[in-house]
Amino acid sequence: MSVITRPWNRLSLAGKIILPLFLLLVLLTVLLIAGWQIGVIPGLIEIVADLVRSNIDIFRFIGTATVTLLITIPVAFVIIYMEMKVIAFLASRIGPNRIGPWGTLSSVFHGFKVLAKEDFTPTGADAAVFTMAPIITYLSSVLTLLVIPFAPGLVGLDMNIGLLYFFAVSGLTVVGLLTAGWSSFNKYSLIGGLRAAAQIVSYELPLLLAPVGIIMLAGTLSLNQIVIKQAGWFWDWYVFQQPLAFIVFFIAATAEGNRTPFDLTEADSEIVAGFATEYSGMRFGFFFFAEYVNVFILSALTVVLFFGGWNSPINAQEVLNFLHIGSLTPNLDISTLGIWLLWILVFGVPIILLLIALPLWLLKSSWSFVKSLIVAFVLFNVLAVAAFMVWAFLSFEVVVGLIWFLAKVFTFVFIFVWMRGTLPRVRIDQLMGFAWKWLVEIALLNVFITAGAILLLQELNR
Amino acid sequence: MTTDRGTVRSLDDPNIFVETPATIFDAVPPYPPRTEREAEFYHLRDGEMLLNLGPQHPSTHGVLRVVLKVDGERVTDLDPVLGYLHRGVEKICENGDWHQAISNCDPLEYVASMFSEAMPVLAAEKLLDLQVPRRAEYIRVLCWELNRIASHGLFMGWLALDLGGLTPLLYGFIERDTIVEMMAALTGQRMLFNYLRIGGVNRDLNHDFLSRLGDWMGKAAVELENEAKLLNENEIFVRRTKGMGTLDREAALRLCVTGPNLRAAGVPYDVRRAHPYSVYPELDFDIPTREEGDSYARYLLRIDEIRESIRIIDQCLHEMPDGPIMAKIPRLIRIPPGRAFISVESPRGQYSCYAMSDGSDQPFRLRLHDPSYFTLQAVGHLLPGNLIADSMAVMASLDPIMGGIDK
Repeated sequence: MSVITRPWNRLSLAGKIILPLFLLLVLLTVLLIAGWQIGVIPGLIEIVADLVRSNIDIFRFIGTATVTLLITIPVAFVIIYMEMKVIAFLASRIGPNRIGPWGTLSSVFHGFKVLAKEDFTPTGADAAVFTMAPIITYLSSVLTLLVIPFAPGLVGLDMNIGLLYFFAVSGLTVVGLLTAGWSSFNKYSLIGGLRAAAQIVSYELPLLLAPVGIIMLAGTLSLNQIVIKQAGWFWDWYVFQQPLAFIVFFIAATAEGNRTPFDLTEADSEIVAGFATEYSGMRFGFFFFAEYVNVFILSALTVVLFFGGWNSPINAQEVLNFLHIGSLTPNLDISTLGIWLLWILVFGVPIILLLIALPLWLLKSSWSFVKSLIVAFVLFNVLAVAAFMVWAFLSFEVVVGLIWFLAKVFTFVFIFVWMRGTLPRVRIDQLMGFAWKWLVEIALLNVFITAGAILLLQELNR
Repeated sequence: MTTDRGTVRSLDDPNIFVETPATIFDAVPPYPPRTEREAEFYHLRDGEMLLNLGPQHPSTHGVLRVVLKVDGERVTDLDPVLGYLHRGVEKICENGDWHQAISNCDPLEYVASMFSEAMPVLAAEKLLDLQVPRRAEYIRVLCWELNRIASHGLFMGWLALDLGGLTPLLYGFIERDTIVEMMAALTGQRMLFNYLRIGGVNRDLNHDFLSRLGDWMGKAAVELENEAKLLNENEIFVRRTKGMGTLDREAALRLCVTGPNLRAAGVPYDVRRAHPYSVYPELDFDIPTREEGDSYARYLLRIDEIRESIRIIDQCLHEMPDGPIMAKIPRLIRIPPGRAFISVESPRGQYSCYAMSDGSDQPFRLRLHDPSYFTLQAVGHLLPGNLIADSMAVMASLDPIMGGIDK
């Protein structure tokens, strides 16, 4: 018996997890190959494919709902980690650096911690409403993900009233926050909930009025169509036609997401934690998740409306036409190279190797030339594989679109985090005054100017 | 116990949370009102609510409990409840000898404990009519001013934190930590130094301390400007502090408010100049004042004071003579009978002590006057009419420390 137990006991925790997984993987591979050979698996695949084909709508719905719900988890983890790290750098700290490489797993462990905590309901709280509130808040943020176009063709549901749906569903957030504040039986929670209601209702107005100009320009409420209308160079994005609307929209989005400097609903120095004061465990986790998903969603909407969604800032087709190149993905058929392939292999590779090795050798005085050559060889391989991967990915339109979309969205997430690390909090009367005295007026002015400009252009073109 | 709000049972009763959840968490005291003021305060008009701020609250700077009477977001009245940190330090001091009183007084002003620990020391020296060596005096002034910078640096961060800014606090802590580590190299402690002695100081300046101080002095002025740049012209910060919590000259004088809060209201009263002690008469420094008396003026004034403190430290380092650091006194001192009143200028104002000796080795009475206590009285004067959010900002800008208030 000790033949098995002793090596097992010597394994570290990671080893104890990896070894069974590895054995399982081997077993699965063997089974798959065997099943394929016998003909069981192709038959199964055929049956499943038939089932999916005949009920495509139901499967699409289930798939979309599952993906929409599941996508929030990694997104929230990434944003939480990003916030911890960026704010740490802003405050000249190191930030999380213990769990995982550079602390990348710490937000995941935050999630586990929240799951493991006691789920406490205070005396006097309205238990049913108290439990429902975080669910309402979480769902109302998650459901808006349904209409956001991530990439060409990668959209949960391409509604023709997508923008309207977005605002209608995200407006439900306030119900969750208000009921959370009311049902907690705590005065801080109550003040936080009422602040949330006042703030979100006030800022909903500029948030809705700002994109009206875009709706007039695009002539559609579908977010997918709005993105398609912005195709081309980066100056075709709506931010350059609607700068006022963008400023109003971004400020209102900050308030809508309860982010600094408008985070009055959970102002820790005033009302402890606002509506979330009495929450703990996973019910608090839902609020926490909803907040960070909200940040992602509002950034995504900003990108979709003003920054061209998944469009790249460069009109690739025009550039290729200008350079007289037919396609971005060259022909992979290397036989066309002929004898040149030999020359490239014989002279090209060593020259590139030397080009990488020489600077390394010159910069690192302690390295011998052979060592820098070896490092250069490894680097060359990594770069070659990376280049090949990039090439492969670029040939898929969806992947390119998704990369551009996420890059833009996380730029805005970064700006939200940056503001949190920089700005103090405004006061409630300043907050409300700013919405009603400035933002609503500017948004209305923007609608007026846009409508006037459209009419004028129509008259001129007639 | 029966009150006009119904029966309230003891907190030890296990059934209390089941039966009377609503009354037990209320801010109303479970006894009938003792004074007219209390009766008036705890009588709620239509639309008013009592909000219990503290003693466990992120921004009351210690264990202060303030019962706010709010009408929506607006504070209409308030009732500070003190005593959560009461340890009877003055009485404890009477039961130990004069040397023990030093370490007992240390944690009173826990952000700048070099000032509170000076109380029994200076009182005993005055009763003894003792001449302290000049090097010791210079070392004391050096430590006091360093401690003042540490305290004000922390204040800058705390004010920003109470206004919702996260980053300035940590920059304030960098400055404070540099100084506190430096002081630890000299005194052996980061917070409660226990460094001053009757007749001098505990240890002479050492290389570790001086090298840290030299490093820091080289960049202190620049770092202060950088830190001030974070907030001074921030639109939100200025709008949250300018014109908020204005403490005018007359009110400040009547409430016995001293220190930066008084100087921000335009009264150039500083104990270092008004009633000079130690070697302050020989040093060249200004008393910054401002006229506005609002939170913003108090904030800027403290930055000015940091600049003056850096000047003083510079002079101390240049003019410090060689010589002994302790006067020749016996280990067991019997202080001659008499009474003495001494005061120093702490970062929060005039910190005074009235001591009586009956000729034994223990203080007969040691009464401490903590400036934070009088600053806290201004809170009741400033907050009504403000919003809840502003009440935090104003309280933070007054910079009270609860250790000395509750003693």
